[in-house]
Amino acid sequence: MTRTRRPSPRTLAVLQALADDHERWRYGYELCTQLDMQAGSMYPILIRLADRGLLEAAWEDDPVPGRPARHLYRLTGAGRAFAAAAAKNEAPARQAHGPAASSAHQPRWEGA
Amino acid sequence: MVLILTLVILVVGGLVLARRGMPGSDAPQRIVAVAASHLPPGRTDWGRAMTAELIQVTGRIPRWRFAAGVVRVSLFPPARHRGVVVAVALSAVLVTAAATAVAAIEAPSLAVFAVTLGVLLGVYATAVACRWPAQPLILPRLLAATVALAGASAAATAAVRIAIIRPAAATDPTHLFSILLAIAIAGYLACVLTPPALGEHASQAMWWALGGALASTVVWVVVAVTVQFNPEQITGYFSPVSAAAVLVVSACVAASTRSMPTGAKAGVLTALIAAPIHFAIDMSALLQLHRYVLTNQFDVTKFAHSGYPNVASYLISDTLGGYIIGGLFFGLVALTAVSLVAGAVASRLRPAAPERSTA
Repeated sequence: MTRTRRPSPRTLAVLQALADDHERWRYGYELCTQLDMQAGSMYPILIRLADRGLLEAAWEDDPVPGRPARHLYRLTGAGRAFAAAAAKNEAPARQAHGPAASSAHQPRWEGA
Repeated sequence: MVLILTLVILVVGGLVLARRGMPGSDAPQRIVAVAASHLPPGRTDWGRAMTAELIQVTGRIPRWRFAAGVVRVSLFPPARHRGVVVAVALSAVLVTAAATAVAAIEAPSLAVFAVTLGVLLGVYATAVACRWPAQPLILPRLLAATVALAGASAAATAAVRIAIIRPAAATDPTHLFSILLAIAIAGYLACVLTPPALGEHASQAMWWALGGALASTVVWVVVAVTVQFNPEQITGYFSPVSAAAVLVVSACVAASTRSMPTGAKAGVLTALIAAPIHFAIDMSALLQLHRYVLTNQFDVTKFAHSGYPNVASYLISDTLGGYIIGGLFFGLVALTAVSLVAGAVASRLRPAAPERSTA
């Protein structure tokens, strides 16, 4: 049986960003700039999500000449369900903790 | 002066080689390439992904920040077995705390050494645990790891013995030497346990490195047992025995593989395996001297104002400090230079084998 760990605020942010436009393939640096997150935090989250089958990764089919192919990501069906459930669980928690809960989005070394 | 010059040559040479290896690339790109290549086998796609992403990161600071992030992922990749990582990290914290507490009670001058060594080895063990399960070790690597662990233990034990037998000699008000010794022991051990990539010649290079280290240690023991030495002569800066071992190993491996990097890496591994053992032998021999005599006017004058309770403590402290900096740091730099030169020369000595005709 797989134990489901509560995702960290950073992981939730990544999940949310991917879920907002779940059809589109995204790339790592794009997510880094969107969420103002360092590569050292972003990639471990993406790797863990992929390990858990929540994220699918693929190489760009038709890269721009002169630039190497990008590694692209989007949520799987399970990933979308997980993101929706996580967002649903997170909303009451934020309400319960009041405005202080919004400051939970602090840099922390925590995984998916 | 010679050592500083060697260091400068090595740094400049390394930069030139790095630039040649990746023309048109900047430092962050080279760092990312190296870091990405050190990801565990199952994560290589992610390494390629991060390398590809760097192309579009513009600006000096963002590129450096991105490179730092990739280094962080490379050092501590997401673990497949998180429980193993947590267990290793917790064990490291407990062992470090226990060792520091024991040191603080039994040999207070070693408390900083104990905590530094514990933290460094704990971080290393945690980084290794992040890559669990590891690939199976080949026999020579397993033997080299065993010898390196024995060497690190012997070096730490030698420091403990000095602190217990001659507490005044181990007193280090600045803690500089305690920290440097811990860095040296942990660094040497980590480099042998996680050696650089040696490619298809890994087994051969490891056998040579192990053989060279053990052969030089045998000579070292014979010299320590048979020759009555003067503490002032034990500097460890550049031992002919170590240099000969490194030279032979680098040259033989480079000649047989026709690869300068492989020869140089084997030579450096020889030095890394042997140095802690040599340190332990020299420090043990130093402690067993029956008479400690100051033989030059500089030391006589310095001792008078040093505050040490006796000549033995002064000489041992002086030798220990000199050995840590000269032997374990600058000595390695000098031996690296020897291995690079030997590897470069020997890799050109043996001509390439003629291609066999299949006709």
